Amino acid sequence: MDEFLVEMAEILEEDAVGPSDELDGFESWDSLAALSVVAMADAQFGVRMSSQEVRSAETVEDLYQLISAKKAA
Amino acid sequence: MDAAFNPLQLHGRHFLVTGASSGIGRSTALLLYRLGARLSVVDRDEQGLASLCAELSPELREADPLVPHIADLSDTAAIEGLVARCVAANGLLHGVVHCAGIQAIAPVRTLKIDGWRKILAVNTEAALMLGKSMSSKKVYAGENGSIVFISSVMGMVGSVGAVAYSMSKAALDGMARSLSLELAPRRIRVNCVAPGYVRTPLFEQTETLWDDATKKAVEDLHPLGFGQPEDVANAVAFLAADTGRWITGSVLVVDGGYLAR
Repeated sequence: MDEFLVEMAEILEEDAVGPSDELDGFESWDSLAALSVVAMADAQFGVRMSSQEVRSAETVEDLYQLISAKKAA
Repeated sequence: MDAAFNPLQLHGRHFLVTGASSGIGRSTALLLYRLGARLSVVDRDEQGLASLCAELSPELREADPLVPHIADLSDTAAIEGLVARCVAANGLLHGVVHCAGIQAIAPVRTLKIDGWRKILAVNTEAALMLGKSMSSKKVYAGENGSIVFISSVMGMVGSVGAVAYSMSKAALDGMARSLSLELAPRRIRVNCVAPGYVRTPLFEQTETLWDDATKKAVEDLHPLGFGQPEDVANAVAFLAADTGRWITGSVLVVDGGYLAR
């Protein structure tokens, strides 16, 4: 989770993010950020996601759970 | 017309094809061999190369060996040695087709230095090292020389998420132009083929990231639809053979009309 939060902070251009943070609350949360999550999930966690799946998440934790579930599958 | 007339024939010529285990590289290897060339085929995927050799085994000609070499082209310094082994096994080279490449969607926010350097290493630096190796009298057969680099329309136009990939392919196009001028006195032609979206295993991985609307939008940008690896291989063969005799320093776009918009 810690590594994931660091990656998300970089994507969202924030000093730090927390699991319960709502994605729509970040100014930098846009389609490019969603694509960045897709790229990050692949490069850092070996998990393939679609932009649609990423955009379905509401919080940072939701994204983490999506990645964790795919990794476990 | 003489039934045997084939301006694309490559009898008596040795080509090195990288990325030969799948996609464009595999189609290129299949076509060049069927046009009469003897081949050195390179990839890091040992199983993929084995399946290529198995596919061609019913057509193998004793006079035209098909020699596989397992190699990771991100190790740029090892490429000269690889080329030397190809020559030792199968004779001097008439040409190189560099199809190996890394395609990764990575918006600039997520780009890491190591990541983009690896893309550059395989897509661009490996091409340069192959061209440099080919320029040597110890490697080049001395006639009918043809180097083809598989570039991309992403080297000419932009695409979100393709920063490093576009950089690598645009650099390839520029590099090929200057290399073509240096190697013209030796009668080695240097050209790029720039495909649009082609249905390869790499492409199919990218496609899984798209929702249906995105898939349709991307396909609609290609007036002739998505391409097949054979479409690109045909263009490579045209440049590799005597049909490309007077073509050098060029980028042949094979994109189903993507850039025509």
